[in-house]
Amino acid sequence: MSQPRAREELVTFLDSIRRPQMPVDAIADGDSLVDSGLIDSLAVLEIMLYLETNYGIDFAANGFDPAELSSISEILNLIEQRAP
Amino acid sequence: MEKLVPFLVSPGPINEPTSGLSLTSQEVLERFATRRKAFLAAGIAAGDRVFIGHGNSIAFFLDLLAVWASGACAVPLDGKLTAFECRNQIAAARPRFFIGTAATGDLFHDVLEENDVTYVESSPVETAVALEKAAVDQALAGLRDASGDALILFTSGSTGDPKGVVHTQATLRAKWAALSREIDAETLQRSLCMLPTHFGHGLICNALFPWLSGHELFLLPPFSAHSIMSLGSLLTRHKITFISSVPAIWQLALKTRRPSPSHLLQVFCGSAPLSRHLWQDIVAWCGGAAVRNLYGITETGSWIAASPRHCTPADGLIGTPWGADFKVMASASPDQGPSKAVPCRSGETGHIWVKTEALMRGYLDRPDLTAEKVADGWFCTGDIGFFDAEGQLFLRGRERDEINRGGLKIYPADIESVISSFTAVRESCSFGHEDSRYGQSVAVAVVMAVDDPAALRDLYSWTTERLADHKVPTRWFLLKDIPKTDRGKINRANLAQYCAAQRPLDMKQILGGAE
Repeated sequence: MSQPRAREELVTFLDSIRRPQMPVDAIADGDSLVDSGLIDSLAVLEIMLYLETNYGIDFAANGFDPAELSSISEILNLIEQRAP
Repeated sequence: MEKLVPFLVSPGPINEPTSGLSLTSQEVLERFATRRKAFLAAGIAAGDRVFIGHGNSIAFFLDLLAVWASGACAVPLDGKLTAFECRNQIAAARPRFFIGTAATGDLFHDVLEENDVTYVESSPVETAVALEKAAVDQALAGLRDASGDALILFTSGSTGDPKGVVHTQATLRAKWAALSREIDAETLQRSLCMLPTHFGHGLICNALFPWLSGHELFLLPPFSAHSIMSLGSLLTRHKITFISSVPAIWQLALKTRRPSPSHLLQVFCGSAPLSRHLWQDIVAWCGGAAVRNLYGITETGSWIAASPRHCTPADGLIGTPWGADFKVMASASPDQGPSKAVPCRSGETGHIWVKTEALMRGYLDRPDLTAEKVADGWFCTGDIGFFDAEGQLFLRGRERDEINRGGLKIYPADIESVISSFTAVRESCSFGHEDSRYGQSVAVAVVMAVDDPAALRDLYSWTTERLADHKVPTRWFLLKDIPKTDRGKINRANLAQYCAAQRPLDMKQILGGAE
């Protein structure tokens, strides 16, 4: 999948789990999703499930650095490098 | 004078893996003694109540011991509270002092000034001190001889009527003495706490018990996704032998790499229902450690029962008492408590009552609330359950109104008192809704006096300004009126069921229309 398409889908997904008062377009791609207040810290679980379901990334088997899920840019990099 | 159980050994080494800070036992003693000296110089004295406005850090534990060694009572504050909530807790507990860091000091500056509370800055842990042995011995003696109220933990009332659970030095020591009969020293060698330290489970049982027994303690920020996602490697790197946690943390941790090798001997899970399936998954992830379901409530100093060390996971199994007697009774009324009525038979479901030396002294300045829950030393837990034929206790539900969000208890009255105080709200009722991440999250039904989206936007801002983030409702239902029973009362469970069939407000859309 092209990166613009992956980004578009990721943003749509983040819009579904974000806090009501914080639109996704209020943050830049490099901003921290949690520190910016877009999502709460344990919502990262839903991002992991999204990546497992949509991209087949197996976190339990391969491990990962939590920083890889910290921002839109980091997640897109992770998809590019880890999606089978 | 209270008869005290001998103090457990002395504090062990303590570490913050995230910051890299660590202290040996000797350094703990020196730094805590220095703090005590500073606190006494600041005027902290026996009988004072002292808020501690930070947590999950070495500094917090040094401050706590120093408060106790000064003869005062500590009130650990949930660092996520808004200034509005903090004001309520200060009004309830009437502390003379507030120990904080620069960040908490700024946040609560006005509240402290209004209430004539003296702010004391927590000193940096890194500061090396050279104290004479006599000064350290004096501080330790102050700690060992401490009596009276030790800890106030607010379980609700951050916004409405306060409900602070008061534990004394005696009830805490009774708790630790009971735990030391149940958990072996080998298990506790290197314990990890990633639960909030303003919370009985995290503070009294997971952290203070092993640490004050002389074992090494590792502290992580509470509910930090970063820490949970690195849990496997943290456990391996620090050779952790013991950890307690809540189901919501495991939901995330199980998605990550397991510890390899694992040094875990026992893993406890509590504060929220643990399903058989999640229990089995934790067992597989922990690879060989005994995984146990723990039962505890703040009023009993947390853990009072646990599933056997080796057992087949089962829904609701909380096993046998730890330092407590249990009775399952047909009634929750103090007039029908265990000293006045006949308990249910094995297999019969009823209200769980508990008697323990670790039971709180009472609710802070609320003898009315205490009398509703305690009768002849027996405490009505508000939980429903039964004993099986083998004497194992099972939970089957609860009668309390609380919303259990990932192990943290939220009381609907706190939510309603904020929302109902908004002028355009005619009525509100809060309840828990199912949440795949946290087990439950906060929902609210509101009846508005005006039909105007702008009022809803203002109500949302009003709420977020006054309630800590985790208490802000994630589902909002707009109703014409709130259904009542024929006696005119709201039945929260029925309302939750009613709302489950309704469409919640699209707050994202409503808030997005603000421009």
